[in-house]
Amino acid sequence: MNWDIFLVGMLPEHFLLTGLVLLIVWSIASDGARGAAALSLVCVAGAALSAAALGLQGFAGAPFAGQLSVSPTASLAKAVALALALPVLLMAREDHGDGSPLYPLLLSSLYGLVLMLGADSFLTLFLGLELMSLPVYVMVLLGDPQRRWATHSAEAALKYIVLGGAATATLLMGVSLLYGQSGTLALGIFARSLASSDPMALTGAVLVLLAFFLKGAVVPFHTWAPDAYEGASVSVTGYMAAIVKAGVLLAALRLFGETVLSRPMVNLLALLPLASVVWGNLAAMRQPNLRRMMAYSSIAHAGYLYLAFLGAGPGRFQSVLFYLLAYGVMTLLAFSVVPLYGDDSQRDRLDRLQGLFQRSPYAALVIGLAMLSLAGIPPLPGFVAKFLIFREVMAAGHTLVAVLGLVGSYLGIYFYLRVIQLMFMNAQPVPADGDERAPTGAAMVASVLCLVPAVIVAVAPGWVIGRF
Amino acid sequence: MDSVLMLQLVLWLPLAGMFALLIVPGVAHDAIRRLSLWTMLLQFALVAVLYARFDPAAAGLQFATRVPWIAEWGVYFSLGLDGYNILLVLLTAFLGPIVVAGSFSAITKDIKLFYAMVLLIQFAMMGTFLAQDLFVFYLFWETMLIPMFLMIGIWGGERRIYATIKFVLYTAFGSILMLAAIIYLVLATQKAGVTSFAFADLMRVKLPLDVQLWLFAAFGLSFAIKVPIFPLHTWLPDAHVEAPTTGSVILAGVLLKMGTYGFIKLGFPLFPDATLVMTPTIMVLAVASIIIGAGLALVQDDIKKIIAYSSISHLGYVMLGLVSLNLIGIQGAIVQMVSHGLTAAGLFLMIGMVYERCHTRDLGEYGGLARALPVYSVAFMILTLASIGLPTTSGFTGEFLVLLGAVNSGWTQHVGGHSFSLVLALAAVSGVVLGALYMLRFAARFLFGQVRVPGADHGPVADLVPREKLILAALIAAVFWLGLFPSEPMRKTEPAAREYQLLVRTSRLPAVATARADAVVQGPALLPGTKP
Repeated sequence: MNWDIFLVGMLPEHFLLTGLVLLIVWSIASDGARGAAALSLVCVAGAALSAAALGLQGFAGAPFAGQLSVSPTASLAKAVALALALPVLLMAREDHGDGSPLYPLLLSSLYGLVLMLGADSFLTLFLGLELMSLPVYVMVLLGDPQRRWATHSAEAALKYIVLGGAATATLLMGVSLLYGQSGTLALGIFARSLASSDPMALTGAVLVLLAFFLKGAVVPFHTWAPDAYEGASVSVTGYMAAIVKAGVLLAALRLFGETVLSRPMVNLLALLPLASVVWGNLAAMRQPNLRRMMAYSSIAHAGYLYLAFLGAGPGRFQSVLFYLLAYGVMTLLAFSVVPLYGDDSQRDRLDRLQGLFQRSPYAALVIGLAMLSLAGIPPLPGFVAKFLIFREVMAAGHTLVAVLGLVGSYLGIYFYLRVIQLMFMNAQPVPADGDERAPTGAAMVASVLCLVPAVIVAVAPGWVIGRF
Repeated sequence: MDSVLMLQLVLWLPLAGMFALLIVPGVAHDAIRRLSLWTMLLQFALVAVLYARFDPAAAGLQFATRVPWIAEWGVYFSLGLDGYNILLVLLTAFLGPIVVAGSFSAITKDIKLFYAMVLLIQFAMMGTFLAQDLFVFYLFWETMLIPMFLMIGIWGGERRIYATIKFVLYTAFGSILMLAAIIYLVLATQKAGVTSFAFADLMRVKLPLDVQLWLFAAFGLSFAIKVPIFPLHTWLPDAHVEAPTTGSVILAGVLLKMGTYGFIKLGFPLFPDATLVMTPTIMVLAVASIIIGAGLALVQDDIKKIIAYSSISHLGYVMLGLVSLNLIGIQGAIVQMVSHGLTAAGLFLMIGMVYERCHTRDLGEYGGLARALPVYSVAFMILTLASIGLPTTSGFTGEFLVLLGAVNSGWTQHVGGHSFSLVLALAAVSGVVLGALYMLRFAARFLFGQVRVPGADHGPVADLVPREKLILAALIAAVFWLGLFPSEPMRKTEPAAREYQLLVRTSRLPAVATARADAVVQGPALLPGTKP
């Protein structure tokens, strides 16, 4: 083990681990564990900044050779995922209060994510993936903070853990086949096996791929997402949509590397994500509640993201990371300003948004912007992100897939616009419901924290892409 | 001031105005209105100066700027004035203050958001006309969608939600296919060794006919929905009827020109060989639009619908002029775009004025306004006659030149043995008669006969106020300017018309691939397993 590389290269991990240990000690030592939110915010910010610094300086090295390495691209990916966690922490403060057990869980989940993005072997990858996922099951269970252990949260968490377990099993099955065939656990065998004609290797690779589809909520493995999103609190939903999804996709990116896919693989990789885009967008139209709608929206977005793997070479990393950034920022932006109610299930109902523009114009405008961006309407970040992905797909020669994907994205425009219609187009002002209150303090900071990068990406997409 | 800087100002001024509105308190209605009006007036003043400075003798772009934006993809933020857009930019800037001033009394709800949206759409429309880079063009093109969506949806009539969703879904479908085509086209250009979105670069790429046809279909569909060409027009009457007056004025005045501008600037010149193949189809659809639009206008009882359907008819002339590929016809098409922008915007404004007073759009309830509202009626009659195309008005210049061009090129082909286009051109001439028929039926029932003013029992219905008179005077002056002195503006558009003619007539198929196969530019495979 190389100590220098271990100390410097794993700085983001150290920040998170320190925070985690401090939080646990803190909660044992003091009763209310006040200041947990602030402490975790500082640690995550430190981790994000150090990851960004490592990435921009081009730091490369392997603290644990063969298991874990640090590369500039991985560091940038970590920085994006960690930075997206900052608004989530701020929102959680509004949702769950200061002393919630959510913070240590969130930090350990982030630790898993960061570990996964540095993984060089399936062992580390598995460790990271599980470390990322397991706390999220509990976070879903924390659900509605006012009615602890509410039944719908419990149901959601159970569904999530069962299907998550299925994904784990599938992944392990695939990995064991790959190991049996090649005798190594190095991550590189995945890409090699995808291209091979050996049935065992191919089966192993496809099983690994399916596990990643399941984790990313791609049709037909998406059924856990709407329930889990609905059961969780708004901030945890945002965490699952923006950050867990980013982690899964970035890990998949690490698996695929820059390999060019064979024709049967292209078909598999095009078919399910396309189905995801179409079904996600269609099903979202019928949802009466915000988190379920956003769950279907995230299913569609998982589709676009996996389509990016059809593109070849370095463009793949760029397009996926840029997309995750634009999607994550905009999703969190929308969640950060949803009005609060005494009863969390009220917060979820789309019709509560009716006439929001007259009541709190900032929230309505910001949610509107987020919806338009998610729909991919220029000049918002979501458009450039989609453009980037479909350009990569088309450049790799899959014109038909790109056209179908674009037409699929057209299906999504309606339900995003419906949210805007609800907020703006009422004939008479709709009075606020008794206990509605606009998000304040931390949540407003969270929205600004999302709005600033959104503006930067919209104004200078070229500059941002150039960083990746 | 430096002209290049002025052109930048012209573009960014409305956006700056929009942001300035954010800091004005929402209850300060007068300040909001005044700020919007001054922004628009300043923009028009700048455009007027630029118009005067525009040199008709110089070919190509004038006052152009080109700033790298997404350097990696070859996206440049490039803007400029040329013969294609000069008149449309002038029209847009001219209608800006009119739109704002025309909405002072009509809009009472969410005023701040309303004027913010008016300024935003003005920004997007200017950008669409000025853009010389396909990526930037597409950004502006799509940005127009949102303010119009809100404008119809928030300040519209009873069925506004239906109308606005229909409008967006129609338009967005075309746009999404155009986006696919843009990506394909740019990748094909890249394979030819140029990473660029610049119009000029894209117009040098050689593409096989089948690729051209696919791409043309995608671009063409998007533009045809915007024009709109029959049978893609069904969103238009709904949008117009439900939109607030301002929305209708912007829609008829400028937004509908986007489709025809797209065709002349991009759709036809980018894919000349596909255009050649598709010309008969487009001609048939253009003539169908002229006649069917006029026929539908003839049987409407909703006064807004009459003008909405007449728009379809009038834009059919533009399309006919563009595909005639005859210099006179092309010039006529450009003038007709502006002329329709002036007359349709004026008529929608006047319908809005009478609606504010009488609260109905049912033609059957009106009659004899000439006696009740004399000033109003005079202005209305002038705009009606301009819309019909009476000589000395702008409508005459546009329609006459288009028909002259179409018959001219039809005759040439008839002599060559193909009478198809001549027959169509002559059928289009009958549209003029129909146009006179529906507009005069409208005017006769509206202005003359027994005096019936709905709403008069609630109190006297007043004639135009000075603000309205001023707006209409400006519009009517413009209508006569274009009718009496058309040669001055047409001199500025002539280089563009010639360039367009040349571009569409020059085949851009790849050279026969015998000498050097690698010289043939090919895009990525269109369908899996097929050769491009």
